[in-house]
Amino acid sequence: MESTLDIFVKAIFSENMIFAYFLGMCSYLAVSKTVKTAVGLGAAVIFVLTVTVPVNFLLENYVLKAGALEWLGAEYAELDLSFLSFIMYIAVVASIVQLVEMLVEKFAPALYGALGIFLPLIAVNCSILGGALFMQERQYSTILDATAFSLGSGIGWFIAIVAIAAIREKLRYSNVPGPLRGLGITFIVTGLMGMAFMSFMGIKYGEEAPKEEVETVTTMIETNKENNIN
Amino acid sequence: MSADKKSSEPLFSKKNKKLITDPLTDNNPVTIQVLGICSALAITVQVNQAIVMSLSVLFVIIMGNWIVSLLRNLIPSRIRIIVQLLVVASLVIIVDQVLAAFLPDLSAKLSVFVGLIITNCIIMGRLEAFAMANKPWPSILDGFGNGLGYGAILILVAVFRELFGSGTLMGIPIFGNALPGEESGLYAIGYQNNNLMILPPMALIIVGIIIWVQRSRNKALIEEH
Amino acid sequence: MALNKESNGFTFGFAIVLVVVLGVILASLAEGLKPLKEKNVRVKKQIDILSAMMDVEKEGIDRTNAETEFSKYVDLSQAVILNNAGEEVARGKEAFEVDIKKEYRDKNLEEKDKKFPLFIAKDKKSNETRYIIPVVGKGLWGPIWGYICLEEDMRTIQGVSFDHKTETPGLGAEINKPFFMDRWKTSQISNDAGDFQKYEVVKDNSGSTDPSKVDGITGGTITSKGVEEMVNRSLEIYSNYFKNINSK
Repeated sequence: MESTLDIFVKAIFSENMIFAYFLGMCSYLAVSKTVKTAVGLGAAVIFVLTVTVPVNFLLENYVLKAGALEWLGAEYAELDLSFLSFIMYIAVVASIVQLVEMLVEKFAPALYGALGIFLPLIAVNCSILGGALFMQERQYSTILDATAFSLGSGIGWFIAIVAIAAIREKLRYSNVPGPLRGLGITFIVTGLMGMAFMSFMGIKYGEEAPKEEVETVTTMIETNKENNIN
Repeated sequence: MSADKKSSEPLFSKKNKKLITDPLTDNNPVTIQVLGICSALAITVQVNQAIVMSLSVLFVIIMGNWIVSLLRNLIPSRIRIIVQLLVVASLVIIVDQVLAAFLPDLSAKLSVFVGLIITNCIIMGRLEAFAMANKPWPSILDGFGNGLGYGAILILVAVFRELFGSGTLMGIPIFGNALPGEESGLYAIGYQNNNLMILPPMALIIVGIIIWVQRSRNKALIEEH
Repeated sequence: MALNKESNGFTFGFAIVLVVVLGVILASLAEGLKPLKEKNVRVKKQIDILSAMMDVEKEGIDRTNAETEFSKYVDLSQAVILNNAGEEVARGKEAFEVDIKKEYRDKNLEEKDKKFPLFIAKDKKSNETRYIIPVVGKGLWGPIWGYICLEEDMRTIQGVSFDHKTETPGLGAEINKPFFMDRWKTSQISNDAGDFQKYEVVKDNSGSTDPSKVDGITGGTITSKGVEEMVNRSLEIYSNYFKNINSK
């Protein structure tokens, strides 16, 4: 059983949406030419993820999954609407993105102009739907876990896109061979970054590990003592 | 639509054939148009995964293109995107249910990526760019071509990753038996599987190399800066 | 009558018709395929339970004949459900329906309410009784689970089967390969007094000589340690049950 903090930190580093699961690559590649646009899109993704996944969590647990509709009445306890999940999730995502679009247009028109088509494209960004689908597949049991997961995933995505944008800005001054320029080298650099992020895999979260080792050693010492006496 | 031509084009006219061949080379949806990347990277650890995924996408894109093209004169433009999304989502649900019922082990491996076909930019892209403005038969061909182009890249990357990462193709050992203690073939002389191939970063690097090769052969695709 | 497809009325009408048609198609497909999907889940569980006891491939058991083969080995009416103190709380085929993976992950479920099923099987050749215990735990990337099969003496491990979802291929993922699973065979889960003996998964190859140690997978330390934790946590509960039975 993982703690909420576990889930949060894993979502940022070792289960990073870009480097481990490749979700959201299209906009990642297209909007990472400058750091400014990357920051804007990254922030939008954090916001959309953190709002849509918990909403979809409520939808999943109170409407969609087998037996979820029990609160309406006992007759509905048999109903399993999970086959509608895809449609419902994407509907929620599309509506919330529409909302974000209107807010950004009103309060940050310059950013709205810079992001252009990519803002509405967040709706079909695999990372947003992917977040909801992972939440469903891993069956997080509390909304806090689902939120920790989505916030972490968003932050992870943000770090990834800002990092690659920074690197790409610097790469413009390097002598990349023609055919590799732009897209090709971005793929390769992303692959290298992915390898780097994999080094986060071995981190132990929580303090359980040392305790168990002490117990095992104690048991072994006692077992040995018994054997010696006998 | 205005006046319909009395004579319809032959089924496989030059123009129609191009719909199939273009995406396989100069206009490949993955490496040139940069669409559908997510699944191209995630589902390429084994060739049979890649094949099932490609067939699923092929089904959705052909049926999607066909249905939207049939309905193209009826769809109100205000809800255009929503209708496209609904059609795609429903087709994906059908694929997902059928897989879970008839190929459960593979369905478990593909997990969320079947659902993510909905957000596969290739499909939505073709629906909007082609099916909304073209007749059903060319739309079917366009879907077929783009689906093939996508599948070709997926299977190519999967062949590399499975062969060099696990030493097998479609589950059949190619280089010999790799189990410790029972080595045979190449493994007996010390060859080891490159486990890095199975991990996500290699997929990115392999696609990068494919792009490199493609652009070396077609100088027109090289970016300016 | 000229139908204006941009009019509000048409837009609404179109949307409603589309939604209804799609809804009907999808709902009937889901309902129609439901028995098949449920059978797939059931058969997988049956194969997993049997694979702790035998090499299912060698015995020719697969998805087509799993249900009949399963009933030949396992008598579900004798299955038992325990609570976390090792006490019997129920008996019978509902034990098969307990989803320990879900319970393990469910934070809203208290420990004392969790259910631990135990399956009683018979080895066809020797006619001996076997006890099959489902286990679940956490690997490096995701959940790991499996079944442990004990011999008639309720102490000696006859076989195990482990599986995982997303462990590292070539490393942690190897826990479901025979070479790792075979390492658990013939060791004992409790001492002569019936007290539980903890396992330790080690890196120093002492597993082949020390009965309470098992050699881990090189490069797959975290997954191997996950297996250790999973096995110890689950077996402790069941060994309490066995101890009580044997002391009666």
